[in-house]
Amino acid sequence: MRILLVEDDAEVARFVRKGLQEAGHVVEHASNGRDGLFLAASEQFDVLVLDRMLPGGVDGVRLVETLRGQGNRTPVLFLSALSAVDERVKGLKAGGDDYLVKPFAFAELLARVEALGRRPSVEAPATRLKIADLEMDLLSRTVTRAGRRLEIQPREFRLLEHLMRHAGQVVTRTMLLEKVWDYHFDPQTNVIDVHVSRLRQKVDKGFDRPLIHTVRNAGYMIRAEA
Amino acid sequence: MLWYATAGSLDRQTDAALRTDAIGLAQRWRESGPDAVIEAIAERLATDVDAAAIYLFVGPDRQRLAGNLDRWPPDLPEGASWGVGSVVRDSLPIDARLHAVDFSDNYRVLVGRDVAEKGRLRELLAEGMAWSAAAAVFFALMGAAVLRRAVEGRLRPAAQTAQAIAAGDLSRRVPISRREDEFDRLGESMNAMLDRIDRLMEGIRGVSDSIAHDLRTPIARARAKLEEALAGRDDPAALRAAMEEAIADLDHITRVFGALLRIAEAEAGARRAAFAPLDLSPLLAELAEFYGAVAEASGQVLETDLPETLEVVGDRDLLAQAAGNLIDNALKFTPPGGRVRLQARPAGADGAEIVVTDTGPGLSPADRARAGERFFRADASRGTPGSGLGLSLVQAVAHLHGGELTLDDAAPDGTATGLRATIRLGGAHEAR
Amino acid sequence: MRLLQSLALACVAPVLGAGSEPMPRITTDSREYCIELAERLAKMPGPREEAVTRLVEDGVRLCDSGHPRLGVARLRRAMRAMLAGH
Repeated sequence: MRILLVEDDAEVARFVRKGLQEAGHVVEHASNGRDGLFLAASEQFDVLVLDRMLPGGVDGVRLVETLRGQGNRTPVLFLSALSAVDERVKGLKAGGDDYLVKPFAFAELLARVEALGRRPSVEAPATRLKIADLEMDLLSRTVTRAGRRLEIQPREFRLLEHLMRHAGQVVTRTMLLEKVWDYHFDPQTNVIDVHVSRLRQKVDKGFDRPLIHTVRNAGYMIRAEA
Repeated sequence: MLWYATAGSLDRQTDAALRTDAIGLAQRWRESGPDAVIEAIAERLATDVDAAAIYLFVGPDRQRLAGNLDRWPPDLPEGASWGVGSVVRDSLPIDARLHAVDFSDNYRVLVGRDVAEKGRLRELLAEGMAWSAAAAVFFALMGAAVLRRAVEGRLRPAAQTAQAIAAGDLSRRVPISRREDEFDRLGESMNAMLDRIDRLMEGIRGVSDSIAHDLRTPIARARAKLEEALAGRDDPAALRAAMEEAIADLDHITRVFGALLRIAEAEAGARRAAFAPLDLSPLLAELAEFYGAVAEASGQVLETDLPETLEVVGDRDLLAQAAGNLIDNALKFTPPGGRVRLQARPAGADGAEIVVTDTGPGLSPADRARAGERFFRADASRGTPGSGLGLSLVQAVAHLHGGELTLDDAAPDGTATGLRATIRLGGAHEAR
Repeated sequence: MRLLQSLALACVAPVLGAGSEPMPRITTDSREYCIELAERLAKMPGPREEAVTRLVEDGVRLCDSGHPRLGVARLRRAMRAMLAGH
């Protein structure tokens, strides 16, 4: 993917840039809002990673508002040291697609960038999701594996659906918490792990090929190959 | 204003009397001619007890036919019908109001009134008014002075308190007199404001204390680990393990920091702007389902007792987090096989109660009193993970919603152990 | 004669406007009017109450002793009482 990083802190920028490049992405970097806006408006990117607070008169929110005003729909991930809920809401309202509070684990950033860059197209919503022999029917809300129907609770269905929509991508615990439960707080206990392991019991138990994988220090991933 | 009204009314009375008199004479003229007018004037003069009437009836060649004036007054020339003239009475000039009416055949009558008496009355009136105005001004000034002293006296405690606070003593409060007047209300508002400022200051102090004492420890630990790894071993695996531990420490610090900021946010009341009506029942049901998986995994039972709907006004995220913290705590302290119960019910006008009961060891009264403090951890909880900030956040959220957090025994009669934690939410209007 | 004239002039002078024609004078505060009123009362028919008679007597005496104004006031009250009586 082609990613534009607009970040004024040189150290953070270097770290993020290096990490994204190692993950196989092409990264352009701007260190202020003005340059960032120029690049974002004149070139094609898959994802924009913007610091919320930028020097040079154009901050992250202004930048996104300007882009959206021009009809540019490139997905935007905000990075911010401002953790207040209002700030997150403000960022999303301005046209941001996701919001990540500093300090963050790089794995979290990578997972979110990849999720944004490979979002399913809005034009043709899928009615069926399929990973190997695991099939999900979004209309009848049923899940089968190797033709056998799995007994799955509504919340487990949403959890599995999220994983399957991002098949092959790392999905972090925080992402699941936010996207599946819509909770924006720290649940203290590793509740997500318990839910995933319960889902795993239903999806993978009794089959020789596990589909739900734990990615160390990052999160979970559903994929066909072992 | 009053003077003009009264004096004007006197003048109008005089004029009305003159006009009536003249109309009466004109009628006599029309009915019976000059002789009747002469007789009417004589009669009127004869019965004029007030001795104020003036008449003069003149013929075509201006000779005097009747009346008590020896000549036509020059102040009322030919053609004029109203005027004020000077006439002589007992060799002294006096003012008279005069009204002339022309009859046919060039006869003319003058009707007048001696207004010296009215003039004196008018002077008396003016004098009286001047005195009463002076008295009014005097009493107004006196009253203002007295009132001012009284207001100053009543405001002095508030002013002194404000000065003391400006000088840095935030513990001072305005004494309330229990008279329940405006000054007491002012004092109460000032005190409420001071309490709020005090709470905010306390919050800031709490956060800085917490940062000083409790963030330094994990930072120091992470630093020590990294230093040790750098200095000592060359074994890459050990180095890696040390760095992973340091990252875990930093993550922990970040989490504590986030929790502290959330508490500060709730305590400052800044989140009240995000208050919205919401239904607690589905929110809590979802939470129970969310944590239910954890309970199940460790052989505990999480029961719920929720009404069909429970409408409150509040912050969805913070309420979910507060209730989640209580459930999380209860699950941590309840042994396998134990029960945790989540209940909610309406309380008060439009408030609500969220109750979490467990079958754990409970808390001693001394520990309960301290449970809301930041980083407080009862001895029994030393072995369990957690930041020690969970209940602080619950308390801050309860306060934000105009309520409180109370902790007591699940079974007050001592038949069973366990802790009961209650978040009481006030109505939206009670939120302070 | 000239002396008397000038004396009379001096008496009247304050009453005169500043050199213009003399001010009109009220004639009903005089002894002459007193007598006129008394005659008018005497000509009135009908019985006289004692209070009226006393008022008339008082009035005439006051006029005679040089208080025409007070006397006229008494006589006028008597006149009014007489008219009211009819």
